[in-house]
Amino acid sequence: MKRLLTGIAVVTGLGAGAVHAQDYPSKAITLVAPYGAGGASDLAARALAESAKQYIGEPITVENRTGAGGMVGARSVADAEADGYTVLLARVGMILNPAVNPQTMVKADEYTYLGALESTPMILSVDGESEIESVEQLVEAIKESNGRMTYAASGATSIDGFTTQALLKDAGLDPLTAATLVPYKGGNALATAVMGGHVDFGAWAAGSQMGPIEAGDLKPLAVFAPERMDQLPDVPTMSELGYETAGQITGWSALFGPEDLSEEVVAKWDEVLDKVAEDSTWLDLAEKRGSISTVGTVDVTEYAKSQFELFNGLAKDFGYLPE
Amino acid sequence: MFADILMALQAVATIENFLIMAIGIWAGVVIGAIPGMTGTMAVTLALPFTFYMDFVPGLLLLVALYKGSTYGGSVSAILIRTPGTASAACTALDGYPLARQGKAGKALNMALYSSCIGDFISNLSLIFLAAPLAMLALKVGPPEYAMLMIFALMTVSGVSGNSLLLGVVSACLGLLLATVGQDMYGSFRFAITDDMQAGLSVAPVLIGLFALPELLKLIVFRIAPKNDAMKLGDDKVSAAEFRASLKSIIRGSGIGVVMGAIPGIGPSAAAFFSYGEAERTSKDPSRFGKGELEGIAASESANNGCCGSTMVPLLALGVPGDVITGVMLGAFMIQGLTPGPMLFQNNIHEVYMLFIGMLVSSVLLFFAGKLTMRGFNRISKIPATLLTPAVLTLCIFGIYAISSNPFDVVILLVLGVVGFAMFLLEIPTAPFLIAFILGPMIEENMRRSLAISRGELGIFFSSPICWIFTVLIVFVAVTTIRREVQKTRARKAAIS
Repeated sequence: MKRLLTGIAVVTGLGAGAVHAQDYPSKAITLVAPYGAGGASDLAARALAESAKQYIGEPITVENRTGAGGMVGARSVADAEADGYTVLLARVGMILNPAVNPQTMVKADEYTYLGALESTPMILSVDGESEIESVEQLVEAIKESNGRMTYAASGATSIDGFTTQALLKDAGLDPLTAATLVPYKGGNALATAVMGGHVDFGAWAAGSQMGPIEAGDLKPLAVFAPERMDQLPDVPTMSELGYETAGQITGWSALFGPEDLSEEVVAKWDEVLDKVAEDSTWLDLAEKRGSISTVGTVDVTEYAKSQFELFNGLAKDFGYLPE
Repeated sequence: MFADILMALQAVATIENFLIMAIGIWAGVVIGAIPGMTGTMAVTLALPFTFYMDFVPGLLLLVALYKGSTYGGSVSAILIRTPGTASAACTALDGYPLARQGKAGKALNMALYSSCIGDFISNLSLIFLAAPLAMLALKVGPPEYAMLMIFALMTVSGVSGNSLLLGVVSACLGLLLATVGQDMYGSFRFAITDDMQAGLSVAPVLIGLFALPELLKLIVFRIAPKNDAMKLGDDKVSAAEFRASLKSIIRGSGIGVVMGAIPGIGPSAAAFFSYGEAERTSKDPSRFGKGELEGIAASESANNGCCGSTMVPLLALGVPGDVITGVMLGAFMIQGLTPGPMLFQNNIHEVYMLFIGMLVSSVLLFFAGKLTMRGFNRISKIPATLLTPAVLTLCIFGIYAISSNPFDVVILLVLGVVGFAMFLLEIPTAPFLIAFILGPMIEENMRRSLAISRGELGIFFSSPICWIFTVLIVFVAVTTIRREVQKTRARKAAIS
């Protein structure tokens, strides 16, 4: 509603004219979470809104704009006025999608990268009652099954599809045919599919796995993260196990704005994020949802670029894109 | 255990908790009644508040909002044929005709009674049957899911139409429309514009099909629909009427409980399914769609019957089955709790408090419903010439507000015209809508099954649950076709 009215005001020339950047921000900021409420991106967005509002001095409202694997929300931010009042809680998908899909709704360079926020591990799991105890055994079983083993993922070129495909590639198998992909929507549906024994395994975001793992309904084999998770100290990382490509894949969140944000807006967010980095609410909420804060420790522009190259390279490798 | 329950009762029975639940329920009813504002929206907006609340009151607030909005959707469905939530679409089929006959109060009361009963039964099932329901939810894999959905669609295709053939045509159109957008493997279908890549959302399709044709009728036929004057005593449900609907209420609650516990199905499908069953087993199915109280009872008991059992997967397995419980998982995580079987061991005190609170909220729903009904009931006295344009404005703004996407308003208007055309051709709209909602579920689970079986159709008959649904599908197909043949014969006999 508010956006509509502001929109009308600007179009009809009733608006205050150009926003004076030095006044930024002078009104509420909309933070778009491109995935559903209660999910990892939503929780991160709400935590950021809670902890950053005191430093930026204006309220931050979280809006869930979902669809097309998060790209609908991303598109709406890329299309928004570059005045700093609409920003995006970007997930790895915002870089992955343009890197593997030439018809992407938003290209990776249609944003201003404002800052890294957190890293969210992904976990390779099998049904709690499965006989498989390690990644090695799983790879062995996949080899023997001759393509009949199934894994759950949000889609072939989604991040949780790439986790499994990267592992298959590292194991010297064909990432596309060595196991059969069964698509599901979202982490919770993936968890149900693996727990119910409808598919054999999957590697997806940790957020929807912690409950079932604690209860023994899912058995974690390895984590896709730079380091082991505090909650799962006995589960090795992919790099530790020697799977090089898989070891580079992990989930993350960052803050993006529309292209060509003014320097003042960028500087303001730099300043705010510096404070958020040490804010106890932010750190506390990050720990509770099982993610590691990367605010201020990772150069987002650099990181986004390296992630783009990683996924673009994998997409060519796997045959989704021509070499 | 008894001491535990007593302790929990003591802890939960505070003025503060009651107040939170009462406000939550009442706000939920109002939000649910406003077209374009959904329970999901209410629960999402309330989530940040729970960051600052204790765990149990916070979660009870979310639960209260959800329950309230599920009932609230029926209020606008009955009074202005604009379902506030998708799950109330079915309630409009009989509720609106009743309102036009001057029996809005009766319809609203029946909706409230069946909602509260469904809700209460659902809470009891959550408390006592969580483990078996969770087992069942996990057993329903892609082939079982696909068969269940096909069965539900079959039952519903005959809903609210004079002709089975037109019902099937309507359902097929709905299935066709559901294919718009990106499919599960990532290819685009009918993605003529960028906006269509994401597919069509349910809310604009729903409101376009149900509410807009009423306005178009007003414009095209230039006759304002006359509401009959309210007759004395017509705003209460008599004991005999209640008894006549009791079977449908109980069956609806049961359908709601089972469908609610299975991840991803949700209250809309449950309501339509229950309605279809009520009509199919009724002695006089021809009354359905023209103001049959039992239709309201069937629909409302089923959609609120989902409210408690939808928490089964979250509490018993630690995995939410829908968006609402997804938000609740967020509330759990922020409090540092992990839902799942361990919760019953580590935090049994909180679990009991939650259960008691949920039972109390069913009772609160009754009073909140009674309270709001008085205000809302006056809407039925506003002349249609004033009300209908106001409803249209509300619909357009509401739909725009959901996703701030003008394309949704376009869908709303186009579907309004489609709905009007269907009215002229006497094609029922209900099968269209339910096929649109169920279509993706059927398709996705069918394709998943075939991916798992590598194309072998045998997977659809591979488990006892599948066999049950195969038998039911055959049974419903045979009885429906036989009834249709008998109807045609009777008509022919009448002519000659």
